[in-house]
Amino acid sequence: MTDSPIVQLTDVRKEYFLGETKVEALKGVSLSVNKKEFIAVAGPSGSGKSTMLNIIGCIDTPTSGTVVINGLEVSKLSDKDLTRYRRITVSFVFQSFNLIPVLNVFENIELPLLLQHVADPKARAARVMALIEEVGLADRIKNKPNELSGGQRQRVAIARALVTNPVMVLADEPTANLDSATGGRVLDLMRKINGRDGTTFIFSTHDQRIMDYAHRIVQIQDGQIIVGEQKANKA
Amino acid sequence: MITLTIALRYLLRRKVRMAAIGALVFLGTVVIILGETFCLSARHYSEASIINYFTGDFILFSAKSKEKPSPFSFTTPLPVIDRPHAVEAWLDTNRLVLSYVSIAQNYGLLSIDKNGRKTEVPFIFYAVDPARYMAVFPNIALVKGSFFTDRSGNATKGVVLSDFQRTIYAKNYNVDFSPGDRVTLLSLTDGGSVNAYPSQIVGIYEPKFYKNVFNYINFLDITSYSRLYNFTGVDTASLPPGFNQALASGSDQEIFDLAGKKSFGEIDTKLLVSRELTGYTMIAIKLKQGGAAASFLASLDKTDFGVKAANWKDASGFFASVAVIIQSIIYGATFLIFLIVVFILMNTLIIGVLERTAEIGTLRAMGGEKTFITAMFLWESALLNGAAALIGMIVSFALILTLKQTGGVRLPDIMAQYLVGGGALELLVSARPFAEAVAVVLVVSFAATIYPISVAVKISPLKAMSSK
Repeated sequence: MTDSPIVQLTDVRKEYFLGETKVEALKGVSLSVNKKEFIAVAGPSGSGKSTMLNIIGCIDTPTSGTVVINGLEVSKLSDKDLTRYRRITVSFVFQSFNLIPVLNVFENIELPLLLQHVADPKARAARVMALIEEVGLADRIKNKPNELSGGQRQRVAIARALVTNPVMVLADEPTANLDSATGGRVLDLMRKINGRDGTTFIFSTHDQRIMDYAHRIVQIQDGQIIVGEQKANKA
Repeated sequence: MITLTIALRYLLRRKVRMAAIGALVFLGTVVIILGETFCLSARHYSEASIINYFTGDFILFSAKSKEKPSPFSFTTPLPVIDRPHAVEAWLDTNRLVLSYVSIAQNYGLLSIDKNGRKTEVPFIFYAVDPARYMAVFPNIALVKGSFFTDRSGNATKGVVLSDFQRTIYAKNYNVDFSPGDRVTLLSLTDGGSVNAYPSQIVGIYEPKFYKNVFNYINFLDITSYSRLYNFTGVDTASLPPGFNQALASGSDQEIFDLAGKKSFGEIDTKLLVSRELTGYTMIAIKLKQGGAAASFLASLDKTDFGVKAANWKDASGFFASVAVIIQSIIYGATFLIFLIVVFILMNTLIIGVLERTAEIGTLRAMGGEKTFITAMFLWESALLNGAAALIGMIVSFALILTLKQTGGVRLPDIMAQYLVGGGALELLVSARPFAEAVAVVLVVSFAATIYPISVAVKISPLKAMSSK
């Protein structure tokens, strides 16, 4: 991978309290992620994978250390700039999907485009429909999240994350709720988008398939990166 | 508009909660409109009733008086107005004055010889020009006889008793007064002597309003009153100097000394000047427009009649004050109910937003701007609360119209007596309570929506998403 870094974490620490117990979620993590990378962050539960993704996605702040995204130090950005970053640059696939319960499949996927003020409804619909086709939910377009299975919800969440063509997608255990066939399809889609559009993907996962797909596997344990394995490019 | 879509979907999805919030907004709207309408009506008709049936806009009384006019000052009458006819002539030409009536307020005894038994009963009365009084204060409902007219409609002299008073006399003195009964009026003069004047009962009446005042007040024609109290009509200035000295004297010895002089007691009747002395102590005045009060007082200030003016609030004794207290209690009760409703509503709305903190966090994580999130919740609040308030306004309007058409709000008698002189409280249809309800619903909805959102968007999206 020869692209310039999109993410640069330097000695990032994250501490928080669970009751009176101090938890050190990240203990001086440094990581550089280049554009177009397809990275798997692996590690046991509670190792700090999700915390690191949340900090990269600017939905959480580090206790210390520096986070540089696209050349900008996050701690110096205003709330408005951070909101803009989350809207334009990065997309999330949350472990618990976090779909809007009152919106149907089409509307949930369309929502990020509306947040980006994409005015043309035809352009929005075309983009949404293309992704719905790709995630195999064409027959569920009018269904609300509570009418979908876990796997279907996950696919809606993935389509929602991809609909704006973000620079980077952060996915927290994206295949955890999917059967192997669907998981494989979703991974194929992500790899396709990664190859086609150059979208950077960072996953937290236990899934060996994702690790197999990844350009690089970052092993994290007890809040520290222990291995940053560079693999052969499979794109 | 996705914000509107989300708002509508949430309204439909959470029907029970939304129905509860809608019911609270509806209730709050109705409470505000009905409470405010009631208070406005009470204020308006309380003033109107006191002015129309009790005091007029002003009561003129002697400038010598240290007390203000009061419906209860019979036993300590106000000083007599010196030149009542001059004041009346001035009132006749005053373009601000709609009508007026002069009143003498006093007390005396009624003596009757009936069924072989002589009975004397105390009575308090207004001595008036009956026709003028009836024209100014249409508060007399005749039970028997007439209000100082004979069968041909000619003016008669005598006494009109209140039916309540007549009942009291029957109960306490075992004497039943009826129109046509010959009576003797007895009065105590300033000098301590007792005057007597033959008269008759001409009517029994019942007051239409302010029964708790007028039930005790009887009426006497002013001519009989003047004779009873020896308002003989001689100007003291035309009396010989010795008489005036004696009148001004403070000691018996001085008067005896004066009486010993030869010239004392010689009166040349040709030099005497007549003076109209009716005994009037008050003149009740109704103005053409209530707003002309200041102009009227300004014009009165330019006269030298030796009279002062008390407005309807002062002249009604504590009635205006009691009415204000009742209005304040109603206001207070309405406000208290309103506060409770607003408190519950605000809490419900705030909880409703806070329950969706996780969703707010998700939208923030997706890059949703605060304005987007705020608009989403404001739409929801506006649609629900607007609809509930509108229904509340329609229902309130229908209720007000129904109550108005059925004669107004029936109140407990004691409250009605003090508030509007009795009977039902007519309702005043005004846009103000509706505007106030809209303003309150807007402010409460806005505040109860904006506040929790401002809290929710301040916390990090991750924490917000983790909240339950």
